[in-house]
Amino acid sequence: MMQALRRSSKMYGAIAAMVPKLYLAYSIWFWMEFVVQILSMTIFVYFWKAVYANSATIAGLDLRQTLNYILLAQILVPVVQNRTIFNFGFLVREGMVGIELLRPMDFQTRYYVESLAGLALSLVLKLPLLLIAWLVFGLTLPSAPAAWGAFALSLLLGQAILFYFDWIFACLAFYSTETWGLSVVREGMALFFSGAILPLNMMPAWLQGVANLLPFAQSLYVPVSFLSGITPVSDAPRAWLVQLVWLVGLVIASRVVFSVSVRKVTVQGG
Amino acid sequence: MLRYLNLYGWFLMQRFKILMEYRMNFLIGASSTVFIQAAGLLAIWVVMGQIPTLQGWSFDEILLVYGLLTLAKSINHMFADNLWTIGWSYIRSGGFDRFLVRPIDPLFHLLAERFCHDGIGNFLVGAVLVARSSTALGIPWTPLNLFYVVVAVLSGGGIFIALNLITATSAFWIMDSIPLTQIIFNTNDFARFPLTIYNRGIQVVLTWLIPYGFASFYPASFLLGRDIGWLAWASPLVAAILLLISFRVWLFGLRHYSGTGS
Repeated sequence: MMQALRRSSKMYGAIAAMVPKLYLAYSIWFWMEFVVQILSMTIFVYFWKAVYANSATIAGLDLRQTLNYILLAQILVPVVQNRTIFNFGFLVREGMVGIELLRPMDFQTRYYVESLAGLALSLVLKLPLLLIAWLVFGLTLPSAPAAWGAFALSLLLGQAILFYFDWIFACLAFYSTETWGLSVVREGMALFFSGAILPLNMMPAWLQGVANLLPFAQSLYVPVSFLSGITPVSDAPRAWLVQLVWLVGLVIASRVVFSVSVRKVTVQGG
Repeated sequence: MLRYLNLYGWFLMQRFKILMEYRMNFLIGASSTVFIQAAGLLAIWVVMGQIPTLQGWSFDEILLVYGLLTLAKSINHMFADNLWTIGWSYIRSGGFDRFLVRPIDPLFHLLAERFCHDGIGNFLVGAVLVARSSTALGIPWTPLNLFYVVVAVLSGGGIFIALNLITATSAFWIMDSIPLTQIIFNTNDFARFPLTIYNRGIQVVLTWLIPYGFASFYPASFLLGRDIGWLAWASPLVAAILLLISFRVWLFGLRHYSGTGS
């Protein structure tokens, strides 16, 4: 038992370690993203300052809280970006899906580890951006460790929720070859309903209702609102419980959907 | 000139034959950009529902700015999308040499080879936004206004194309021109909102250095009857000068092109 655990942790560790190597091969892209994100942060800051020009609070948030939220959401936005559907599309197109399924490790766990490592890496790479947000745009972070704890756990849960949701979504690649268009639709929905562009509590009630029915908010709005003080830490256990329900439901659903839809695969020559 | 127009028609027809082979992909591609736009627009709508004006600009007025910018961007997206990938899909592979041995202008060939249907969605979004907001704002559709909008959109498109051409030319030296193009291109996001919300420095950059302001804010200000002086009429001039500069830069790059040996 212990030996099996050690072996599989070594195996998945190797998968996780591959991610930074892949990424660091393209350092010029890193700098491009860095500059582009500073630009978009600048726009957000000016926009919100203009929004607050004549009102002290909006939906109970003052300018400082909103800016904290927006800056953090911009830094953490990689959590709602997911490549599973591209991976599936690629595997189908290249005819590699058969080989992947034959490998002696769990197909889904393998990709989960990869996506978690990808998130960890992109957050590390966002540290310079965090520094800019703090120095230039006046981001303030909570000093209470409890807020950080609530944030960290809900981010971890939220990342997993979205991973399993995207797993189901990516199964569409077994039916349609148009993975790019599908991913753009998902991207647009995720940006809005995750709270990446504005705090969800500013939305009218019916839109908040829609956002709560979708998994996106669980991975961005929920964790970030702990850090920016929108949700008090005392609410954390309830938030975690909701996330756990999401997670369990999606894990089961993703397993079922995958096993049904993978039978539809027709490998295109490869 | 007539010959090139004729040729463009041929290129376009070939391109549509390819696209129509995959009808579903064509439709999804053309409509998918609408979704990304929708996310941004919905966010503006939500925020503007909470406040009366954004520093004196109403929701409909902001939509007009946004719509004009989207129209200009879609011109670039439809007709000059190949500038993005010149580095890795033409120069690196050596495919660019093909353009140099043919009896037509290489830049024309590059642009004409791929009409990008994804821009159609952007064009429709922009057109709907401008039509909707101008009706709501009571801007009369006089022949002059109509002419002004057409010129403004074409000029805006020219500004987008010229800036992309300048940055894409770097591909002759560094191959990976996309990061540079992306950075300059992304500054157009500033021009989604009235420039007056930014500080002086940003306003100057977006007017005189990377003049995306002429694709949205200045024409919108004119249509709304806001006083911006002669800048209301400067868009075509700015576009013409920028296009000229970009073409010079392109020719300079072309002279330094030596191929990758692949």
